[in-house]
Amino acid sequence: MNFLTFFHLVAVFLLCIGLFGIIWRRTIVGILLSVELMLNGAGLSIMASTQLTGTANALGQVGTLLVMGLAAAEATLVLAIILVVAKRFGTIELRYISSLRE
Amino acid sequence: MFYLSLSVLAAHMVLIIIGAFITVLAKSLVRALTGLIMTLFGVAGLYFLLAAPFIGLMQLLIYVGAVSILIFFSIMLTQASSVGEEGQKRRRLKVVYAFLSALAPAVFLGLAVIKASIPSLSTPQEIRAADLGEFLLGPYLLPFELISLVLLVSMAGAVLLGFEKRKKR
Repeated sequence: MNFLTFFHLVAVFLLCIGLFGIIWRRTIVGILLSVELMLNGAGLSIMASTQLTGTANALGQVGTLLVMGLAAAEATLVLAIILVVAKRFGTIELRYISSLRE
Repeated sequence: MFYLSLSVLAAHMVLIIIGAFITVLAKSLVRALTGLIMTLFGVAGLYFLLAAPFIGLMQLLIYVGAVSILIFFSIMLTQASSVGEEGQKRRRLKVVYAFLSALAPAVFLGLAVIKASIPSLSTPQEIRAADLGEFLLGPYLLPFELISLVLLVSMAGAVLLGFEKRKKR
C-alpha cells in the first residue's frame, strides 16, 4: 500500500458512492449532486496518477482542469434542463417524469 | 514530518468520505449540497497535498464558487421542498439495487487498484503555472479549443432552453 493506492481508493470510493446516489436519489437535483461526486473522483484519480509517478506533471493537471470544465458545462446544461422540466411537469421527482408519454 | 503529512492526508480523506455520505444520504437537498461542498473542499486539499496549488485553487473557484451556486439556484428555483421528495420511504428493492450498483465497481476496481499497484513517489514535484500554460497552448491546443467550444455550446443551449420557457408563458 503506497500513496498512489490511497488516492486511487478514494477515487474509487467517490465513483461508487456516486453510482449509489444515482440509484438512491429521487430527484434530478440529487442525481446532479451524485454525478458531481463521480467527476471529482475522476479528476482526483487523473491528478494522483501523474503527480505520484514519473509521468509529465502537466499532463495530469491539464487533464483535471479539462474534467472541471466539462463538469461546469454539464452543471449549466442540467440547470437549464431542470428548469424546463420543473416548468413543464410541475415536479422534479423522477417517478413522475420517467415515462415517455402520458 | 512524514507522520504529519500522513495525518493531513487521513484528515482530508475523512472529510471526503463524510461529505460524500452526507451528499448521498441527507434528506434535505440543501444539506446534501453542503455535504458536496465539504467533499469539494477535501478534494481541493488533496490537490494542494499533491503539490498542485493552481489546480487546487481552480477547484475552489470552479466547483465551490460556481457549480455549487448553480446547484443551489436549481434547488431554489424549482422550490424542491426540504422534506418532500427525498424524505419519503423507499422500496426495499431499491436499496438492494443501489448497493449492487455501488458494489460492482468497488470490488473490481478496488481489487485492481490494490493488486496492480505501481510504485509511487512519496514527494510530488511542483511545476509552475507558466509551464502549465505553455503545455495547454502547445501539445494540448486541440482539447483546449474543444473545451471552450463545449462551454460555449452549453451556455448557448442553457440560454435557449430558458428563453423558450419564457416565450410560451
